Amino acid sequence: MEWLILIIKVVVIFHVAQGLGALCVWVERKGSALIQDRIGANRAGAFFHTDSLVLKPVLGGVKILGVLGVINTLVCDAVKALFKEDFVPKGTSNFIHSLAPFMAVAPVFMAFAVIPFAPDFEIAGYKIRSQVAEIDAGILFIFAMASIAVYGVTIAGWCGNNKFSLLGGLRSAAQMISYELALGLSMVAMIVLYGTVDLYKMVEAQSGTIAGFLPAWGIFTQPVAFILFFVAGMAETKRAPFDLPESESELVAGYFTEYSGMKFLLFWLGEFAEIGLLSALVSIMFFGGWDLPFVEYPATWVGALLGHVVLMGKIAFFCVLQIVIRWTLPRFRYDQLMRLGWKYLLPIALVNLVFTGALKLLA
Amino acid sequence: MEGLLWYLVAGLALGSALGVVLMHKPLYSAFCLVLNLFCVAVMFGFLDAHFLAVSQVIVYAGAIMVLVVFVIMLLSLEGKERSSSKFITVLAAAGVVGLLAMILGPIKAAFPGKASAITGGVEAIGMELYSKYLFSFEIASVLIMVAIVGAVVLARRIKSNAN
Repeated sequence: MEWLILIIKVVVIFHVAQGLGALCVWVERKGSALIQDRIGANRAGAFFHTDSLVLKPVLGGVKILGVLGVINTLVCDAVKALFKEDFVPKGTSNFIHSLAPFMAVAPVFMAFAVIPFAPDFEIAGYKIRSQVAEIDAGILFIFAMASIAVYGVTIAGWCGNNKFSLLGGLRSAAQMISYELALGLSMVAMIVLYGTVDLYKMVEAQSGTIAGFLPAWGIFTQPVAFILFFVAGMAETKRAPFDLPESESELVAGYFTEYSGMKFLLFWLGEFAEIGLLSALVSIMFFGGWDLPFVEYPATWVGALLGHVVLMGKIAFFCVLQIVIRWTLPRFRYDQLMRLGWKYLLPIALVNLVFTGALKLLA
Repeated sequence: MEGLLWYLVAGLALGSALGVVLMHKPLYSAFCLVLNLFCVAVMFGFLDAHFLAVSQVIVYAGAIMVLVVFVIMLLSLEGKERSSSKFITVLAAAGVVGLLAMILGPIKAAFPGKASAITGGVEAIGMELYSKYLFSFEIASVLIMVAIVGAVVLARRIKSNAN
């Protein structure tokens, strides 16, 4: 029974993560169109026609999805990628070339293992925590996975066997290592504040209010850490304004220049799953997880479901926010990127950590 | 089930350790070492030492090895095969084995019997590290600082010579 619960958890949470990534792709396609005053994907499935009265309502639904671009991004793109030629450049090992996308995607999905998605609930006498791995190290596990994700990108850049790819790979490795410091230190401030590395306990620590009206969320107790974490986290996802590893005006497409078809799509999925992961972390660490001020969830599966919906709403908000930022801001110059990481974010994170520690000691 | 997984991971760790030595390209050796470190981390995880497992991945697999891979790529060593003088290889292997025996012998003598189960939790390790072993911990950080300063000084001198 224990194993069965574990397997169900793995399957469900993997699909939540994957669905989050896929939906982000759709929001990106349609959202970028909206921001750039275009219409965007709206054709696939929009012109189906039938005279059958039974099929008509079904096709109507499909048509609406088609006009919204859902079919285009979630079905057609995947099918297209599957049938494309899988191109491997001359002079590289086929094995390493195929390994890179997996190394880029797998750690991101593994990191979802320690994220709790709803309050605890009981079904048939079994107390269930909606978290795959209840390990002691908690948030440090996510940090470990983030540091492993560097390899996929680096290997991909090396495998391209050309200068553009290699430069992209090196840039991404340098960028991810640099911003991991600020990311880690802002996390440490939160760990000091909550006194735990367990994400579930962090959510519990944020229930209640400050001074009777302000929710006791991390954003209100640690606003500096939130900004540091969000900026450094966005740099880790390697998207604009931090998309120097793939800047198309300089490096063709950076580290995935020589990737096509499904392997390319895997890099994409990994990137969007990272958006979801960052949003989940921000929602849990800084916005109280499933906590709503003045709301008490019933300790049944209904309460858990409500909590889950609230958490997913917060996650969706931050996904959309990241996509809006990505389509609004221009790309940094490389020296600006390094200066921001090392000369601004890192010292501010250190000062914030010392300040938090001092406050914790005095209180 | 857990025993099976343990032997699988242990076998993978041994295989990748052999790969580090036997692979012909430096980059493949580096990747084997990453795999090996990761497997050892998983074994820590099996022993319920979660914090140790995670810090193994963060520090060794995620930071130090990235730098190693970085340097190998920047120097584009991937084309060059390792020099394979049989005599030197055997000599080096014998030297390493001898050195390891010299180090491991006293260590094994110092810790007789079976390893005792300790809790590898974040809190337990933190308490030990920052109270009992505080001095050695701080000394280690000073040592690393010295190494960093030394590296910077060495790099600078080379640059001024080139000019």
